[in-house]
Amino acid sequence: EEEEEEEGFRLLGILDVQNTPCSRDAILHGAGGSVTAGLLHFLATSRVRRSFDVGFAGFMLTTLGSWLYCRMNNAKLRVQQRMIQDGIKNQIVYEGTSRDPANKPEAGTPSGPS
Amino acid sequence: SPVMEELLHLHDHALMVVFLISTLVLYIMLAMISTKLTNKFILDSQEIEIIWTVLPAVILILIALPSLRILYLMDEINDPHLTIKAVGHQWYWSYEYTDYEDLGFDTYMIPTQDLAPGQFRLLEADHRMVVPVESPLRVLVTAEDVLHSWAVPALGVKMDAVPGRLNQTAFITFRPGIFYGQCSEICGAN
Repeated sequence: EEEEEEEGFRLLGILDVQNTPCSRDAILHGAGGSVTAGLLHFLATSRVRRSFDVGFAGFMLTTLGSWLYCRMNNAKLRVQQRMIQDGIKNQIVYEGTSRDPANKPEAGTPSGPS
Repeated sequence: SPVMEELLHLHDHALMVVFLISTLVLYIMLAMISTKLTNKFILDSQEIEIIWTVLPAVILILIALPSLRILYLMDEINDPHLTIKAVGHQWYWSYEYTDYEDLGFDTYMIPTQDLAPGQFRLLEADHRMVVPVESPLRVLVTAEDVLHSWAVPALGVKMDAVPGRLNQTAFITFRPGIFYGQCSEICGAN
């Protein structure tokens, strides 16, 4: 049961919506965009078949746009996370040494014993 | 490893593109089945031909750009802290750590009948290759007899072991643990 929950629901048998980052939001935005676009077109033209086509095009564009936007933000966060991890690692390694960026010597401080 | 994480993200991106294409094809099929419009004398249509030329090109660019980024990322020089030689034999691997001391050992797969409870079939080995965590590493892969391939999927590493040739791959891991791999090139007798 735990394995089935971890596997998640796959759209069309290929897209694991639950475990793929950004996919759930992209599909939901796409569904909303599809309904909105199709409904607006139908209200304006009363053409059913063409409204379905417009709705589907809205789904594709909204899903793709939401996906790309979310993935770009995700990628930026990952880069920041790696930089922070490297910074923490370097801070631990260099703490107390001359390479510690927080340990900058002041100009008026005497260097010899007082 | 970071490379495997990037590969997973590329896989997710490509899968979403594939999902959208599949949805488009399914929708077009349904639309064509259910339409009442027919035209036996159509010869060409500039608009649709432009669409089905430009759209695949755009899709290819959408997939190719992240793919090329990872391709060049994987080839970056990373100043390794340790170099390990992995030599493929029929049917075991031998590892040599020669940077600091001459250390070499063979590692055989544990047969199924000798496995302890909880161990993985066809994956466990008697002597594991031990590497430091959070250190860039280089593995030089070659073979003694026939083609082999040194692969560890969790680290995003696979390199062919070719007799008479030295191939280089590099990786870094940030999580301690046991990572399994299997020879990924046909190297048996039958």
